Amino acid sequence: MSGATAGSHSLAFRVMRLCRPSFHVETPLLLNPNDLFFGEDLHDDLSLSSHLNDLTSSLFHNSDSDLSYKSRFLLPHSSDAIGLSGLLVLPQSFGAIYLGEMFCSYISINNSSNFEVRDAEIQTERQRILLLDTSKSPVESIRAGGRYDFIVEHDVKELGGHTLVCTALYSDGEGERKYLPQFFKFNVSNPLSVRTKETTFLEACIENHTKSNLYMDQVEFEAAQHWTATMLKADEHPSENNTLASEIFKPPIIIRSGGGIQNYLYQLKPSAQGSAQIKVEGSNVLGKLQITWRTNLGEPGRLQTQQILGSPIMRKEIELQVAEVPSVIIFERPFLVQLNLINQTDRTLGPFEVRLSQSDSTEEKAVMVNGLQKMAVLKVDAFASTKFHLNLIATKLGVQKVTGFTVFDIHEKKAYDLSPDLE
Amino acid sequence: MDATTDAPDQDPQQQSLISDFETLSLTTDPLINTAAAAADTDTTTLTSLDDLCYELTSLQDLACKGSWLSVLDKVSRARNLSLLSLPHEHLTYATFNILALSKLRRFSEAASELSSLDDLNSSIYHFETYPQHYPNRTGSFVPFSLRFLHADIPSKLGNRNETLDRLYLLLDFVRTKLDEKMNQKLVNSVNEWRRREIFVMNCLIGHHLSHKEFSVTLKLVTELIRRDSDDVIMLSKLGYIQMQLGDLDGSKRSFDLVEELIKAGKGGALWSEVQLRNLVSRNKALEYLVAKDYVSAVREYDECVERDGSDIVAINNKALSLMYLRDLADSVKVLESSLESVPTVALNETLVVNLCSMYELAYVNHPDIKRTLSKWIARVAPDDFDASCTRI
Repeated sequence: MSGATAGSHSLAFRVMRLCRPSFHVETPLLLNPNDLFFGEDLHDDLSLSSHLNDLTSSLFHNSDSDLSYKSRFLLPHSSDAIGLSGLLVLPQSFGAIYLGEMFCSYISINNSSNFEVRDAEIQTERQRILLLDTSKSPVESIRAGGRYDFIVEHDVKELGGHTLVCTALYSDGEGERKYLPQFFKFNVSNPLSVRTKETTFLEACIENHTKSNLYMDQVEFEAAQHWTATMLKADEHPSENNTLASEIFKPPIIIRSGGGIQNYLYQLKPSAQGSAQIKVEGSNVLGKLQITWRTNLGEPGRLQTQQILGSPIMRKEIELQVAEVPSVIIFERPFLVQLNLINQTDRTLGPFEVRLSQSDSTEEKAVMVNGLQKMAVLKVDAFASTKFHLNLIATKLGVQKVTGFTVFDIHEKKAYDLSPDLE
Repeated sequence: MDATTDAPDQDPQQQSLISDFETLSLTTDPLINTAAAAADTDTTTLTSLDDLCYELTSLQDLACKGSWLSVLDKVSRARNLSLLSLPHEHLTYATFNILALSKLRRFSEAASELSSLDDLNSSIYHFETYPQHYPNRTGSFVPFSLRFLHADIPSKLGNRNETLDRLYLLLDFVRTKLDEKMNQKLVNSVNEWRRREIFVMNCLIGHHLSHKEFSVTLKLVTELIRRDSDDVIMLSKLGYIQMQLGDLDGSKRSFDLVEELIKAGKGGALWSEVQLRNLVSRNKALEYLVAKDYVSAVREYDECVERDGSDIVAINNKALSLMYLRDLADSVKVLESSLESVPTVALNETLVVNLCSMYELAYVNHPDIKRTLSKWIARVAPDDFDASCTRI
């Protein structure tokens, strides 16, 4: 990759992105001579078999004076058929750059003139961030045909267009002071999108928008002050245990390139201190996801999400809780349910009337109040609660949900529709 | 294919072997003659490949030199002049022809020739179909690599799925043969078919890996390791795959295990001591590389080259490490000098790609320099060298 150079300059910048190299993988065409020189069943003939081996074994013997290209033809070990010799390849193209990665570049400034270039001050900067500056100790000279190299690194923290500006201030062969700016543009994209869903569990879905597969090194949920989070993982399949391979090899979590997704599940629990006080009205900050991934040869990238919010908790002024329900409820026989009315406000509320409203359906309700339809409840002090009984009767068999409790504040003339969990 | 291609004035009963040390034999099966000849003498070196197939030694020679164009010529000449007399020779020559065409990347022609053959399981390719030529011999004379080429070529013509299907079918076929041979207690054959089973599995690994299908790749790799937990070469490859993925902890565990096994004396059957020590060094060097400790990586690679000057993986990777140390000049030197000193191993498309990348960075007039390299390659390289790697 190189920028355009003005014709009169002796110097020119050449830039190569220096992310980590990759292993070269290419299925070769290498064969075992037993599979080429003879028919496949010839070793059935025992008397012939050892002679066949003699004939072919000499082929694999390597001598120093061997000047043949047989390494391009013969298969020394079966695993050589994979085409993964361990040879590394330099990055062949600029590739895509993603937020959270490190931008690393080899920059070479070449003197293509026939004259020595002296006192070169070189600067490279990105978004006005100075990456390299030799002005305090200028490069004394770059001989004709020579070069001065350097490597720059920069954490990519912003999306969108970036420009790498390379400038050189130098004296050319004629002693004239010249200024050479070169610009290299590239774009930074978003590698991931994270979607979350929250009830008592936080489900995070990470989608890979890059062109590479991402090895998920760490995905951690940093819970906010009031919460603790535990990652929940599926149990391993029993057949995958108990092998030597599983001792050294743990299946990695890889998100496929171009749209692959991986889900993570965390259980959120309120942390030890002050569980009663956490019901803060308004937004409910749960925490942040810290994501670290790796690509080829461990090239790292990391991102943090914004604060993840839980569903806002509405502050309730009063709450109705079920304290006691008989374990066996007999059809068409009255039973007592003990309820707890909690006053969450800082002032005395009440007196109240509690009833099971008839609600919209014209059908007979499955569970009804036996006796007086309204239950009177006395005043409840600030942050206090009071217990009372309701006499109910079931008119239908099976599991029934009891809904439609209405608590009416006689004093303030306010009705609350409450649904304690009662089945 | 014509099954009876005797040379006109030769009585099939006295079919002679094209061999230097001739024994006028009483039997007529050319293959049995080889064993008989050997049994009559003290040494086993009397037998040669030519006893098994017309001028097979010459074909082997040309293949080792990478002279695939000459292989094509030789096959063509043998066919035109009707120099091949036996069915199995025709098939062996056809295999060499298809192999040569594939090496020269002339895949459509290779595919055409393959399709002109019968189904490889047909009795036409069995010895017992020609009792007049092979009186006491049974079995298939299809060279196994022909089956492999049949499976592999579709992917080179853009039909990857067909190749995967055929490779998995081939694996089934091999396993069936393996069972048969085990039941017949043919020990040597069992070893061959077992080797072929592992070969096909490795080909599948290569195909899946090159398409970044890591889950299935890793499943196949761990299956092979489960079968032979001492295979330090396979374990090292697992390490490379883990490293490529980014699973650095995993690759460290694999490399540590390789080193332990080699210290415990395993792996000797596969490679020489020097090769094994270099394997350990190269793995260590990779770990230094990913930790960005390029100086230590270079040191490891230097030790490898000291022990084995033809360790081209060490040479190539050392050059890359130097580059990450900002020493472009020395990277270029390392690669150029390897081409001069060990050209038959150094002349490798990947190494040339790396060298050309370095040229593009180092020299404003890199097209000239690459042209010089190209010219040298054209003089020295084998026929199958892919010159497009210089990107001129």
